Amino acid sequence: MTTLINQNPVIYEASAGNSTREWREDDENEDAVDVIDAQEIFDLIRSISDPEHPLSLEQLNVTQRDHITVSDEDDTILVEFTPTIPHCSMATLIGLCIRVRLLRCLPSRFKVDIAVRKGTHQSEHAVNKQLNDKERVAAALENSHLLEVVNQCLATAT
Amino acid sequence: MLWRQDQGGHKRTIRSVAWSPDGRQLATGSFDATTGIWERDEDESGDYECVATLEGHENETKSIAWSKSGALLATCSRDKSVWIWEVEEDNDFECLSVLQEHTQDVKMVAWHPNEELLASASYDDTIKIWRDDDDDWYCSDTLVGHESTVWAIDFSPSGDELVSASADETLKIWKRFVPGNALGIVTQRRGEPIWKCVATVVGKHERCIYSVSWSKVNGLIASSGADNTIRLFEVKDATAPVGTEGRLTAEQQKALNEPGVLFEADKVADVRKAHGTSDINSVAWYPNADHGDWLASGGDDGSVRIWRLED
Repeated sequence: MTTLINQNPVIYEASAGNSTREWREDDENEDAVDVIDAQEIFDLIRSISDPEHPLSLEQLNVTQRDHITVSDEDDTILVEFTPTIPHCSMATLIGLCIRVRLLRCLPSRFKVDIAVRKGTHQSEHAVNKQLNDKERVAAALENSHLLEVVNQCLATAT
Repeated sequence: MLWRQDQGGHKRTIRSVAWSPDGRQLATGSFDATTGIWERDEDESGDYECVATLEGHENETKSIAWSKSGALLATCSRDKSVWIWEVEEDNDFECLSVLQEHTQDVKMVAWHPNEELLASASYDDTIKIWRDDDDDWYCSDTLVGHESTVWAIDFSPSGDELVSASADETLKIWKRFVPGNALGIVTQRRGEPIWKCVATVVGKHERCIYSVSWSKVNGLIASSGADNTIRLFEVKDATAPVGTEGRLTAEQQKALNEPGVLFEADKVADVRKAHGTSDINSVAWYPNADHGDWLASGGDDGSVRIWRLED
């Protein structure tokens, strides 16, 4: 049996249902402009599965709503995530899953930056550089094996 | 029909294309690690036919470039190497050299406009200059200064300067100084010119810059990137009024080791949202004076646009 990188991850309680959004007055007003915010992005990525454990990124506290910055006006999104351990070799794969999820769900006008949260990974710079090189991402997604792994992680995303 | 596999087409994304100087052949670099050489079938259909496939790179071929004379072809890849091929008769291409000094993916190669001198740009944040000594190719200089991936490079019309575009959101202009140059800039190795950064264009692009083209006709630099904008710059040498007797002042000498200040790059025009909200991956000036004011751009929206510069 292969050894897991992080054998005993801390598990956090995940919010129930499809969205953790609180009800707002505007929600029933069909004329209101529904801007994309951090909550919406969080809802898109929190149920992605960890590549190693049968747990979601939210349950492992890899993604948190407060670590997502969105400017709907400027079309920019920054998602910072926290690997469960600083030498996690899955960090790039997790980031790739987040990127692909957002690529598939969001309008193409958004410029998305994905980054390991500062100080949470020993190869922070290298991981971030790779995740934000769109050519490397494109080439990775032409790799059918890798794409299959990504799709498996995304299968649980709701 | 470059994607027709039965005719030798590529199996994965085509990353770049380049016409041979005589316009007779087209080279294609693909993520399938090969380079295709295509020729138009003059007799019948007029389709392009694959006349050679250059193999050797371990993975994605990123960029290809023909030398001015058409006698040499350079290719580069994610495998960190730059290959130099000699174009022989009967569509035969012989590999002259495999250059492996970059430590990461090589994003682009560009030939000097007149000399057999090659520049390469890399994910390792550097640019390397390659020269040959009796068919023996070697790295003659490494240009350090960018803080992230160098995506694109292009030479000035004379070839004495080089512009580079980077993910660090800056453009840099590098100038070649030969031994015994009038400015008194010290060169390192005997007989070997040295390239120094003489200008850094900061704050003109807001995200990664993917492409840069230095017009060989009007001397303007065009750049584009992930901020959806095409920008044009006019470059001028700022050394003349300050130095004395053609040499640099002590301050200027010192400044040469800092981000460059010897050249000024003034923005002359920009086109925001040139491809809507899409990244603009590539810009290229028309290569000669027939349409010297034409600029082509390609974006993630899948379209190519041709722009004309108006006074």
